[in-house]
Amino acid sequence: MTSHALHLLTGLRRSVAAGVIALFAIALLGNGAFAAEHAKAEAKTELVEDSHHGHTHGPAGHPTAAKKFGYAYLTAYMFCLSLCLGALFIVILNHLFDAQWMIPIRRFLEHIACLLFPTMFILWIPIGYLAVDIYPWMSIDPDHDHALHAKAILFNKPAFYGVSCLLFLVWGFIAHGLRSASLAQDKDGAASHTRTMRRYAAGGIFLFAFSLTGAAIYWMKSLQHQFFSTMYGVVYFAGSVWVTAITTYWLLLYFKNRGDLKDVAREVTFHDCGKLFFAFTVFYAYIHFSQYFLIWNAAVPEETFWYVLRENGTWKWVGQLTIFGHFWFPFIFLLPIHRKLNFQAMSMMTGWAWLCHYMDLQFNIGPVLYPDGLSVGIYDVLSLGGILAVLIFMFSRAFNAHPPYPQRDPRIAEAMGVYVEPASSKAAH
Amino acid sequence: MNAYGLMAVFETPADAMHAAEQVRDAGYSKWDVHTPFPVHGLDAAMGISNSKVGWFTFIGGATGYTTGMIMIWWMNAFDYKIVIGGKPMFSPFYAFPVSYELTILFASFGSLIGMALLNRLPRLHHPLLKNRRFCQGASHDKFIVVIETADPKFNAEETRKLLASAGSKHIEMVED
Repeated sequence: MTSHALHLLTGLRRSVAAGVIALFAIALLGNGAFAAEHAKAEAKTELVEDSHHGHTHGPAGHPTAAKKFGYAYLTAYMFCLSLCLGALFIVILNHLFDAQWMIPIRRFLEHIACLLFPTMFILWIPIGYLAVDIYPWMSIDPDHDHALHAKAILFNKPAFYGVSCLLFLVWGFIAHGLRSASLAQDKDGAASHTRTMRRYAAGGIFLFAFSLTGAAIYWMKSLQHQFFSTMYGVVYFAGSVWVTAITTYWLLLYFKNRGDLKDVAREVTFHDCGKLFFAFTVFYAYIHFSQYFLIWNAAVPEETFWYVLRENGTWKWVGQLTIFGHFWFPFIFLLPIHRKLNFQAMSMMTGWAWLCHYMDLQFNIGPVLYPDGLSVGIYDVLSLGGILAVLIFMFSRAFNAHPPYPQRDPRIAEAMGVYVEPASSKAAH
Repeated sequence: MNAYGLMAVFETPADAMHAAEQVRDAGYSKWDVHTPFPVHGLDAAMGISNSKVGWFTFIGGATGYTTGMIMIWWMNAFDYKIVIGGKPMFSPFYAFPVSYELTILFASFGSLIGMALLNRLPRLHHPLLKNRRFCQGASHDKFIVVIETADPKFNAEETRKLLASAGSKHIEMVED
């Protein structure tokens, strides 16, 4: 059992798994030590400052237990949501481009996308319940806050809960529509299912773009309701597909080693997954840089306050991790072709991408409650572990209940690298 | 008149591919396969490793990025300092778009120059282009393997035998 769990961690070697875990542990410990150092210095200045104007809190106010848990849970939730939405996007992409190389990865991505509803909806309930603790705008009177007054049409409780529920319905509609047609095709092989899936994908891509942006705005950006950025949804999207692409690579490797996908996972499939990850490494950097660059250049206080808060304490280093760990390292590392085909290197990169994407979400969410620096504690570990455990359980159940890849997709032979003579040309002979 | 190489004509891509595998396994180094269209998997059949052009592209890109950053720092923060909008004299953020453009420009220069150098271009003449059968076949419906006489393993008898055993119906010596 233990060895199997370790196997699940890397799909390769225990030493690699141990290496990844050690890196995480060092990062956590290092942060803990740094935070403790910081707290000592803080305590000294507090003694002096307290008598004058009290302790400074973030926009979310004093970190109560409910808030601490709420923020940890929200970060973990947005991380898992990234994987589900990224999976939905890649499935839609498959049908939009009629791509043959994605056939081997499509089935397990369909299952991940279907976790959006109802699993992720049920997992969202704690956020809805704790919303008043998590989102500062919920306890502000719009008549006393100009920014909130101007955005009141979006930021009011009925809209928040209404839109949130609507998002899950939209995702459930697209994801389940795509998967049920795909599963039906396994049985009868009818081409009409491919056309059905194309229709879901063509309409779904628009619904996806709006709904993902809605989720990023309502659940993450609204933590600081004064902030303006038209790029915000796209930044979350780019990061989500980035982390999903490398996770897809790893899952393909895992299911190939386990035997489920050994007939369809070819070298070129891994290469293409690696290229997708590489493309989104550049795309994410491009999008996040554009957001930062425009705000930096314009220097309007309504926008700069968001990044100013994120330059305090250890948040500055989390930002550096996004620049160097999220972009430069994977970019330089994956330039040569052979690295994209090196399973050990790519498994390590999966762990690294998870760390960087999680830290990116911490960077978005954390400073509102912890303005002095990154704070990762037991709530974060429990939330992420708990949500992931539920998702992995639901995913394995779905994956094991159905064929591991689309059995009778019109492009399956092509994906397997086999040439099948069309029936029409056979008749001609 | 010097002999340039031995040319063997094949009728189908599959024949040429199998011939290429045999020539590769026989250990020849100066040879090539000419086809009217790109044939997938031929590079592996010929035993060709990944192209080195990527290195020229990378070095070009790195040069472009560094040039952009240094140029902007030199102009705005060193040679003729101007304060614009209260921003720092130099910041990688505003220098990035220009450096990025130069990265792309120099990387494409690197690719083009690297491709030309590695292919030994420009070149005004090639012995194969005087051969009517080659010109008509390689750009139309024939798949042609050419082994140069300059290859250290080249032996007129043995090489001809190898190509014949690979299934070529027409083998001829191309003169320069």
